[in-house]
Amino acid sequence: MTEKCFDIGTIQAFLDGELSSDKMESVSRHVALCDDCAIALAAAEEESAFAFSALEQEFNTLVPTKRLWTKINNSIEKEKKTFWKPIFAFFSNPSVAAFASLLIVIGFFAAMLGLKTDVPTDLAVETVPSQKSVVSPIISKPNTALVETPVENNNPKFLLATNSGNDKPRNRAVKVDFIKSEGKSTRKIKPSMPIENGEQRATNENVLGEESYVKTIATLTETVNDGKDEVLKPAARFAFERDLAVTDDAIKKMSAEVKRNPKNVAAKQILRASYQNKIDLLNSVAEKTELMASLK
Amino acid sequence: MKEREKITSFIKTANVLFVVVFLCLSAITIFAQTETPPKPIVPPKPKNSKAGKVALNKGDTPAEKSIAVDSNVNISLCVSEGNLKINGWERNEIRAFVSSGSETGFKVLQKNKQSGKAVWVMVLGFDPAKNKETNLDECLSGEKIELDVPRGATVNVKGQASETTIESVGKVSVEIVGGDIFLSGIERGIDAKTYEGDVTVGKSGGAMTLLSTTGNIVAFNVAPSGIGDIFKAKTSSGAITLQSVEHRQMEINSNSGSMKFVGEFLSGGQYTFGTQNGSILLAIPQNSSCKINASYGRGAFNSALPLLNVVKNAASKTQSLSALMGSGDAALNLTTYSGSIRIKKSEGEK
Repeated sequence: MTEKCFDIGTIQAFLDGELSSDKMESVSRHVALCDDCAIALAAAEEESAFAFSALEQEFNTLVPTKRLWTKINNSIEKEKKTFWKPIFAFFSNPSVAAFASLLIVIGFFAAMLGLKTDVPTDLAVETVPSQKSVVSPIISKPNTALVETPVENNNPKFLLATNSGNDKPRNRAVKVDFIKSEGKSTRKIKPSMPIENGEQRATNENVLGEESYVKTIATLTETVNDGKDEVLKPAARFAFERDLAVTDDAIKKMSAEVKRNPKNVAAKQILRASYQNKIDLLNSVAEKTELMASLK
Repeated sequence: MKEREKITSFIKTANVLFVVVFLCLSAITIFAQTETPPKPIVPPKPKNSKAGKVALNKGDTPAEKSIAVDSNVNISLCVSEGNLKINGWERNEIRAFVSSGSETGFKVLQKNKQSGKAVWVMVLGFDPAKNKETNLDECLSGEKIELDVPRGATVNVKGQASETTIESVGKVSVEIVGGDIFLSGIERGIDAKTYEGDVTVGKSGGAMTLLSTTGNIVAFNVAPSGIGDIFKAKTSSGAITLQSVEHRQMEINSNSGSMKFVGEFLSGGQYTFGTQNGSILLAIPQNSSCKINASYGRGAFNSALPLLNVVKNAASKTQSLSALMGSGDAALNLTTYSGSIRIKKSEGEK
């Protein structure tokens, strides 16, 4: 052995493949002849292997890459591009803005000149649409079929309306949006609300404790949605979403059935079981998150 | 004259509209000039792990330690990696063995005042007597982790991803993130939970709660150790198979998995089986005595055993059935949304 031994830094660089090809060759040649360096190389290799195995979980943790974040930001921007975006972009051009300003001035003077023309005031009034032409928006769908809307207190409300398109006026019920009065303000409750939106959903009083089920589900959903991407692996996530969909479907159908027929004991039992299943399902993810956090 | 007035009126209306349109355009122009670019979302910084440093066993031989304890000692441990095997033995001592991984040691949390023996022990991933370093990982990690503990011991395990096997101990509580759990010869009760894996329990006693999220649950030859011990099994998308489960109170639940019960319904027992869209199969003796209450949605109910006083109610989307089997000593509640319910004679009976 004629060459001098390499230091640990060079050996580590050799292991990591960071040396130039000449240097790599000389190190490998030297290690083949020098027992001390071979031992040092083996030790470094072992340490690296252990460090990698210890940090494997950290390396494998799903952390959003820069590319992914760029994609997310792009998607958000795309979503933000509404109807007004291209118009805004068009007018952000200075020359267009200047031309538009010029047109505004001309238009303003033209309007002023026009307003100065002698016109009898009674004719001007006629241009305003008369009160008779204003139609109430509530009964604006003449061909809506008779649909019972889920409203509070299980009291479906219908409005009587006449079919304006028909010569023979006849009474019929039309679908209305339920308007709940809360003090001075009013808000509309959409009839077909998803079950997972527990806070907004009108609960069915026929099932004992349904409100607390719904509240619990809403709270758990919020908790789980924050961390399910980190906690669940793809296969588990798929199973979770599938089970959730199945449960939601059962809740939706059974809830409708109980509303339709409050004496249906079987539907009530299945609905309660479905609520409990959904709570257990969401709880399992929340508990897993908690366990993983406690082990970190 | 009237035509002239109409024209003048039209011009006036047009002018008003013209002004309104151009005022709108000017407003848009002003907004367009002052618009600020959307702020990009800053990715959250990765959370700093609270996990301590792993105390590696640098010796040539696996880490091995033992400690004298009370026969009914309570043992707590956490496993970050590796297959765990805990076995009950006749000695009143704990022996911990870890190969290719961390060190091991014990932390006595409580001692018996009379005997002076440890009654509550924590098995650690380092030896607190020798290693005084702070911020060391308390969890055990290694290729193979083995513990020998007194038969009467209560074992509490928390873990990341590991296969856990526990045999012949007093009581067990296991909660692991991923991995299968095998339990056998547990005398006084089981609480087992895995989020990705199967739970298998055999020849054990006491109250049992077996939970799995995506795995199957199998239990056989299990019985209560006292009156009122409940058997609970719940999985989200796995199957549940129960054979010779002698608990009088059972709550079995699955979301999308099926369940099979082979055994007897005991007098005075309460048995609840529920699935969302899995099937329920009960294989019971012909002389079984129970009162059945079944609620099912799109599924079907089928019994190969004779039923008495059958009352069926069918609504548009649900069906319910109540019936007696024998003298109706046990209560059997069956609920499924879209699965089927089937009762048949247990094998070997004609």
